[in-house]
Amino acid sequence: MNFTESDIRRITFETISELGPIATPDVVKEAVRKKVETSSTNPFEASKKDAVSGRVILTSFGLNKPGIVAAITTALGKANCDIQDLSQKIMGDFFTMIMIIDITSSQKDLKEIQEEMYKTAEPLNIKIYLQHEDVFRYMHRI
Amino acid sequence: MNYEFTEILETIRMTEIEHFDIRTVTLGISLRDCHDRSIEVTKQKIYDKIVRYGREHVKNAKEVEAQYGISIANKRVSVTPISIPFDSFKMEDFIEIAKTLDKAAEEIGIDYIAGFSALVQKGMTNGERELIKAIPYALSQTKRVCSSVNIGSTKAGINIDAVNMMAESIKLTAELTKDKDSIGCAKLVVFANAVEDNPFVAGAFHGVTEPEIVLNVGISGPGVVLEAIKEAGNVDLQQLAEVIKKTIFKITRAGELIGRKVAEKNGVPFGIVDISLAPTPAEGDSIADILKAMGVEDVGAPGTTAALAMLNDSVKKAGLMASSSVGGMSGAFIPVSEDMGMIRAVQAGNLSLEKLEAMTAVCSVGLDMIAIPGDTAASTIAGIIADEAAIGIINDKTTAVRIIPAFGKKVGDMVDYGGLLGLAPIMEVRTISSKGFVGRGGRIPAPMRSLTN
Repeated sequence: MNFTESDIRRITFETISELGPIATPDVVKEAVRKKVETSSTNPFEASKKDAVSGRVILTSFGLNKPGIVAAITTALGKANCDIQDLSQKIMGDFFTMIMIIDITSSQKDLKEIQEEMYKTAEPLNIKIYLQHEDVFRYMHRI
Repeated sequence: MNYEFTEILETIRMTEIEHFDIRTVTLGISLRDCHDRSIEVTKQKIYDKIVRYGREHVKNAKEVEAQYGISIANKRVSVTPISIPFDSFKMEDFIEIAKTLDKAAEEIGIDYIAGFSALVQKGMTNGERELIKAIPYALSQTKRVCSSVNIGSTKAGINIDAVNMMAESIKLTAELTKDKDSIGCAKLVVFANAVEDNPFVAGAFHGVTEPEIVLNVGISGPGVVLEAIKEAGNVDLQQLAEVIKKTIFKITRAGELIGRKVAEKNGVPFGIVDISLAPTPAEGDSIADILKAMGVEDVGAPGTTAALAMLNDSVKKAGLMASSSVGGMSGAFIPVSEDMGMIRAVQAGNLSLEKLEAMTAVCSVGLDMIAIPGDTAASTIAGIIADEAAIGIINDKTTAVRIIPAFGKKVGDMVDYGGLLGLAPIMEVRTISSKGFVGRGGRIPAPMRSLTN
């Protein structure tokens, strides 16, 4: 993390006011050095841990053919995703399937699972979308 | 299952087929602590601050896109109106600052950075005058910088001196960028009653009452509204308003979710959702098509203004219910070049500048992305700006003019910018003169707020 001149100045002023009457140049210098080493002014680093987890909705559709559900569930099983609900419909030649899956215990994150599913979808010539549950909750539930 | 089959399919249809996207996530960054007596130090401070806060902006937004399956069309940055912290500088310095903004925008991978702005509705400081003089050069010498100037407000009236300066600025910008169809003018907005938290570039800036840093979101979904109206079929207008509101409610909720998540990832406070319907040149993503689906034969037909008023009002009502953080412009945008339906209406001779002006009285923003002949007099442009500002200050709403006097082009020609800016037919402008009026200079006094008839 690179500190700009203004950051250092800000930290110094903060330190002086924190230290109060005991602030001498040496004490302040030492305290500022410590702060610069340990803290980060980068606002992004604190939120890095936010790896995507929780429930995800998988929607797939395309021309019906044998083996679609098998292919999808196999891939999900390999990724250690827990299927919590499943609903499937055939309309004419088209099949649609919606699954609610929990990816909390998966060793992969949502992005990797999405890539996995795109790979699964391609040879079957179907579409698979994975979206975090929140988007549906926000849009359809008050 | 917690969700109905149809609900899930509806969301998928919106995002995959009907062009529902988050139009922009805009990071507002205050530059008020970046001033220094030396222009070199100032430039370094500006660059460092934008890069420090904005470095992960695009990456974080892309992650949220993937997570929720809703695309975010634009990732942008707005900054404090440059004239405010850097008031002591001269024109040449302001051009240098614009180049610094451009460089910082390139470094963090965004296509536009907005806030090369001044707020001069009541009068101008020396720095503001220098900034306005710098605008044509700044816009012609940079790619990503967008500029806006507020020349009127309900509380202050209209600064006609500033209007005249802006008209000259627009003309010069058009000339300096004549190689690219006067594209500089597409990055220059003249406002009345500008809002401080607008996330939509080119008119965005990070207002002085805003926090150090904030993330604002602009949503967009004309395609979704269009499909909903088509599906509703032949219903009466109250039922139609209901259909529009339900649709907007859903997309506003999604917009707020995305905004909050991007803000969370960036570690910055979430600001507002701007619930505007913003078209793109993509087929079906058009406000004009919505108006036609509502029943007018083409945009410009009598009834268009009423239809637009109803659309705009329904958008606001639903948005306010869906989110407690509504702000920005929040209404329907009617930029001509960015909306295929509008372009066709102009080409067919159905939509004139005057009708567009009437439409702006009931919807968001104003005369937006309109190309006019290159030989239009500056005083005529000043007249157009003054008219539009008058609509704004009298009706207590934001209005803007983003007009392109395309250098060397005549009525019937086209300018083509590609991408989101789209293409625009040159529209006819009345040639009778406004000079005697705007040439008087001075300021139109602030309007009264009672006896509003």
